[in-house]
Amino acid sequence: MAEPAIISVRKVNKVFNGGSDRAVTALEDIDLTIGRGEFISLLGPSGCGKSTLLRVMADLTAPTSGTLTVNGKAPGAARADRDYGMVFQQAGLFEWRSVLRNVELPLQVAGAKKEVYRAKAEEMLELVRLREFAGHYPWQLSGGMQQRVAIARALSADPEILFMDEPLGALDEMNRERLQGELLRIWGDVRTTVVFVTHSISEAVFLSSRVVVMSARPGRVAACIDVDLPYPRTAATRTTPEFFEKVKDVRRALHEAPSERAAA
Amino acid sequence: MSAPGLTGSAGTTGPAARALRLVPVALTAVVLLGVWQAAVTLFDVPAFIMPTPVRIAAAFGHDVGTIMSASLSTAKPVLLGLVMGSLGGICVALAVSRFPRLSGPVLNAAVLINCAPIVALAPIFNNWFGVTSLLSKAGVAAVMVFFPVFVNTTRGLLQIEPLHLEIMESLAARPRQVSLLLRLPNALPFLFNALKLGTTLAVIGVIVSEYFGGSTEALGVYIAYQAALPRFDYAWAGILVSGALGLGLFGAVTLLERFLMPWHESFHEESA
Repeated sequence: MAEPAIISVRKVNKVFNGGSDRAVTALEDIDLTIGRGEFISLLGPSGCGKSTLLRVMADLTAPTSGTLTVNGKAPGAARADRDYGMVFQQAGLFEWRSVLRNVELPLQVAGAKKEVYRAKAEEMLELVRLREFAGHYPWQLSGGMQQRVAIARALSADPEILFMDEPLGALDEMNRERLQGELLRIWGDVRTTVVFVTHSISEAVFLSSRVVVMSARPGRVAACIDVDLPYPRTAATRTTPEFFEKVKDVRRALHEAPSERAAA
Repeated sequence: MSAPGLTGSAGTTGPAARALRLVPVALTAVVLLGVWQAAVTLFDVPAFIMPTPVRIAAAFGHDVGTIMSASLSTAKPVLLGLVMGSLGGICVALAVSRFPRLSGPVLNAAVLINCAPIVALAPIFNNWFGVTSLLSKAGVAAVMVFFPVFVNTTRGLLQIEPLHLEIMESLAARPRQVSLLLRLPNALPFLFNALKLGTTLAVIGVIVSEYFGGSTEALGVYIAYQAALPRFDYAWAGILVSGALGLGLFGAVTLLERFLMPWHESFHEESA
């Protein structure tokens, strides 16, 4: 990895209900370094802690032990400085705000002047190609369009990092593939570091420069697989032998990962 | 790239269409009044049991000056009480949502006060503010309006989608920003529901408390006086005017609601 690290995770553990007999180890000894400008996917079965790891990086939940830095700071400081934008599985748009006003939210919260956040929001809507829907309300948009608004919102404060927690999980296959293409185009434009949680192997391979394969119970990093397919990737990329080869590699890594810790 | 709800043809949203939607309402009213008139005439119901609409209309026409000036002096405390009760309910709800530990005791106190019947409140307020004071009538209405506004607004301020809260957290929003940008708009639909309840409660509160003294130029006094005479056609005219007052306030609140929350799902169909 030539690029300097933007996120570094060292010996991070996360235990839910710690101390009780219902204690669940969600993350165990996670070590991970993410370079500036990478597109990283966290891939694994449900319950492998991939979303928890993302939420720890985003300072939405605290690790039980271990250290991590995000953009060279503690995660809390990175959140306070708005170094990252976040997209969730549901768009989570405020239904009382128009599309444009939803995209304005992060900079408005950050205390920017109105003309600044308005101009920036318009620029972001241009980026996700929803300019003509600026005045619409969320209920008037399809799920895919809502998610594009959520991406515009997450990017509107020019964050260094974009955290995405299964952002395309709620979409149908067609919309999903189209939005994957959109996302790569947007990433090509803004060049932020992306950490993308998914349980779809082909999605991870198509999007990422590196796939982090996780195993479940407890959540661990099982393998890191570089995806050296050249960008820009298009629909044609999905049909190349190299793509299939990578999908096969990742699938093998997933299946070789220890699934359950041997019970006594 | 489809956008559901954007493809409505202009014909379904214009003012003509709006007027058209009033037709069934008008028809229903006409049919109801017709049935009423026919039934009373046909079964020869005595006027003190149930006067015909025509008789009520005649009574209204005969006494229109008195009735209208009475309703005007009733409308004032109704409006004032509605505003006071709503503002009070909103303010206490804001305080409770900021300090949730208060919510238990405050809610209990509110229930207690709300249980006090009008027959108790009206003389007490007359005693406090003076029998002719606008405040003594408006106060009763305010107490009645306060309760639903407080309970519903509190709910709306606290019942936030966890995802929305998480988004605000990821944006490092301060508590004041969470209140202003998320909790308040989230509470608007709850508030308007309560205000709609409040309009009828305010009318009832003022009319009933008018029995307990004060200016004789008031709808409550007029209705009671005519019923005692007994001139029930005149009493009914007063009752219908007080109903119209409540309906008018209800309509005003609905208009305000449309203006303030055009995004709300209850209005989706119309723009579809």
